[in-house]
Amino acid sequence: MKLLTLSERLGLVSYRNQAKSEVKPHIRVDTDICNSVCPHKCTTYVCPANCYTLDDEGKVHFQVEDCIECGTCMYACDQGAVDWNYPDPEIGRGVNWNFG
Amino acid sequence: MDEKFDCIIVGAGIAGLAAAMILARNNMKFLLIEKGEFAGAKNVSGGVLWGSDLARLVPEYWEEEDGGWERFINHRRLTFMDNQSTFSIDFKSSHFNETPYSGVVVLRSKFDRWLANKVQEAIDASDFAMESFIATNIKVDEVLMKDDKAVGIRTGEEEFHADSVIIAEGVNNLLTRQVGLQDDYVPADHMLTGIKEVIRFDQKVLEDRFQLNGLSGMSNEFLGYATDGIEGGGFLYTNRDTISLGLVAGIKEMREKHKSPHEILNHFKAHPVVQDMIQGGEVIEYSAHVVSSGDKRVMPKELYKDGLLLCGESANLLMNAGKAIQGMDYAMRSGILGAETIVKAKERGDYSKQTLKEYKQALAESYVMKDINNFQDAVHMLHSPQMFNNVPNLICDFGRKFFTIDNEPTKKSRALFSESVKKHSSYWDLMKLGFKGAKSL
Repeated sequence: MKLLTLSERLGLVSYRNQAKSEVKPHIRVDTDICNSVCPHKCTTYVCPANCYTLDDEGKVHFQVEDCIECGTCMYACDQGAVDWNYPDPEIGRGVNWNFG
Repeated sequence: MDEKFDCIIVGAGIAGLAAAMILARNNMKFLLIEKGEFAGAKNVSGGVLWGSDLARLVPEYWEEEDGGWERFINHRRLTFMDNQSTFSIDFKSSHFNETPYSGVVVLRSKFDRWLANKVQEAIDASDFAMESFIATNIKVDEVLMKDDKAVGIRTGEEEFHADSVIIAEGVNNLLTRQVGLQDDYVPADHMLTGIKEVIRFDQKVLEDRFQLNGLSGMSNEFLGYATDGIEGGGFLYTNRDTISLGLVAGIKEMREKHKSPHEILNHFKAHPVVQDMIQGGEVIEYSAHVVSSGDKRVMPKELYKDGLLLCGESANLLMNAGKAIQGMDYAMRSGILGAETIVKAKERGDYSKQTLKEYKQALAESYVMKDINNFQDAVHMLHSPQMFNNVPNLICDFGRKFFTIDNEPTKKSRALFSESVKKHSSYWDLMKLGFKGAKSL
């Protein structure tokens, strides 16, 4: 059986408020911390939805759209850069599991 | 809604729904709040709901044509794996075909919604049919405290008041932290990421492949290669026409060893034996969620305050001691015991710690805390590197030699075992592990 890429997998996830072009991010990341003092930048590889990415210069960027609210980054980040919350049902994003 | 409730439950997962069922049956006036679009919309588990408590909440649930559960477990398998081989302990028995079942596989989006409907039926039959509610699409921002006693909740600008609050918000327990029962930052040390795919088959193919009969099902846990050197383990559970295939992996170890959970999942799926089990399937959902490890060191400082109780994974009630991954059954039992305590508190007119500490006592006397306390050594052992690296490699190495017939004089098993031990571990390490094992089980 063929293995799926992460983007193929995320394509199977149902999100809330998908029609809205702008959503209120439920996680705030102080990427200044990631890009100054953090020795590992681990969110860029432990996040199962790849919400944290590295650019060509090795800087961390965060985008909330694909977040599946698993919570991994809240524990993985030991630098205090991640302010984690649940999405607002009306104006946030977040998942809507079909199977769960 | 100006009126005060007897209780507000935050979270319509298994703990919250179990609590709500007990409150409804005891004619309590309550509000059950869920942030998802429906109960189960935000919930993920492996997952097998072990034990028979479900029958206490929904008597004879197995009689229902299309209940919320997938399959009952009558076939258990624990598999050690290296890069090519698997060596399994396999147990199947018609004894487990008898009701109440000792475990059912569930998919939470369906199961929790079904259970919520049962709770609604209980509300409708109660004295507060028009005054107790399951309210979805509401995120609780704060537990309202007055003189260190819980008096309600706030969502946005709106407040709801109650004599008591049950926090059943799950492992990512922001409210538990807000009321001071857990530190604001919980380190990654004893937290794992659970990650899985739901893979669909033609139902006949699935039933033939896994030798399922009617609604019987199999649970298979994996140790070793499955998690690519990270603490944790893999799992495969059979649903009606899908399987849940996934793993849990320690967050701290992934951070230190630079591993991604989704890559570990592909590593597990690519194993030749797993490939044989999943061929022809189609992935229909990918999901992930944090779980706690069952290590007591991460648990909240206390399970209650004046007017407040913690149930389920918000209290980190979960354990994997090798035999099974138990979390949903702990959630269910703790929800039941929590609600029973709230019922007592109403009878006495005393929602203070004085009454609510009885929840902690009841939990301590139940199998939940007894098992968590008794199997801490097993939890530590299972999360030691030997158990997810050396031991599975050693066992598979021995298995390969033992089952190889190559027209050479056959060595005695003891000599083969000795070779495998020397290659992957040492007798000294095994002895230490043996001592630990003997002590823990």
